[in-house]
Amino acid sequence: MMEKEEQKNFFQEIINQHKGILFKVARLYCRDEEDRQDLLQEMMIQIWQSLHKYNDQYKISTWLYRISLNVAISYFRKSSKREQRYTPLTEKTAQIALEDKSENENQLLLLEQFISELKEIDKALMILYLEDKSHTEIAGILGMSVSNVGTKISRIKEKLKSRFSQLT
Amino acid sequence: MNELELKQLWQTTNKKLEENLAMNVKLADDLTRVKVHGIIGSMKPIKLFTIFIGFLWVVIGAGYLGGVFANTYQEANKFFLYSATVQVVLTAIALGIYIFQLSLIYQVENTDPILQTQKKLAQLKVSTLWAARIMFLQIPVWTTFWWNESMLSDWNVLQLGVTASVTVAAIILSIWLFLNIKYENRHKKWFHLIFSGNEWSPLMKSIDLLDQIKDYEPDGNVKI
Repeated sequence: MMEKEEQKNFFQEIINQHKGILFKVARLYCRDEEDRQDLLQEMMIQIWQSLHKYNDQYKISTWLYRISLNVAISYFRKSSKREQRYTPLTEKTAQIALEDKSENENQLLLLEQFISELKEIDKALMILYLEDKSHTEIAGILGMSVSNVGTKISRIKEKLKSRFSQLT
Repeated sequence: MNELELKQLWQTTNKKLEENLAMNVKLADDLTRVKVHGIIGSMKPIKLFTIFIGFLWVVIGAGYLGGVFANTYQEANKFFLYSATVQVVLTAIALGIYIFQLSLIYQVENTDPILQTQKKLAQLKVSTLWAARIMFLQIPVWTTFWWNESMLSDWNVLQLGVTASVTVAAIILSIWLFLNIKYENRHKKWFHLIFSGNEWSPLMKSIDLLDQIKDYEPDGNVKI
């Protein structure tokens, strides 16, 4: 069991080192800036409150992904707004949104938009895949079989490719 | 776009984040002073208020009806007495189920794997349908509480027939709703009509999430 001061230092250290995980998850689950700040704060509160239960048999990133994804999905579910997903991008709106941006920025913007349109669990899987996590690690974070991870990723990648091809 | 291109594109997010991310260290420091909230501290005021009103209704109702049963039963209007008793008992059961499920929801661990945690949470949320089913069971007593003995002797056949028909229709409707409000009927039009308001949004999203999780499970089996 960690002492209070030790716990506080550990918390600040992991938040500083792994803040990218929280930001990326929050960004894809919540487009509205104000809501996103709330979501980030909720993630950090949950991490702080669960810190005493941290078990070093797990990698810290695995543990953080579990908390941040669980909080993000629950946040979406608890919201009283019936439809929080994004309106699918049409060819016309995409062109307007992508004006004055470099090719790479455009592609990234589209990728984020298409991931945002996915369903909650598919979105979690895709974030982990793009973060280059191994199938075993993804299976551990999501709680599914390794073979199922591969099958699901292939299906979602196909969806993303087809979304990209619709706009070219 | 191939696999490598997708991942390379995603990596540019990391670069962008590193450039722009100024983590508010003070916020992290402040959070270490946040007290761990229990179930009551974590609940929205409107939810607490609803539970409080329900609790008050049951306590006052039970107190009043207990007094009537104990002291003035002979003189009391039996239609009102038994209708009100059924209403209060059903409200108490629904409230009990709701509070018990809320307490289970707050015990679920966010550190467990996503599918396991989300399935538990969504199943618990969807099981609040039980509270709705029980509340619908009380529809018929709202058609009988105003009855009295003199109306049985004074009213003509038509008046009695219309009154009795309304009650029979309410009984049939409430039993039908009790038997049919369940996860399996989630895609039916009437189900969406009943649970269409914003207050039911978390329930409908939980149903949607269970459908997604079902898609991830090898046997596709989600039990509620």
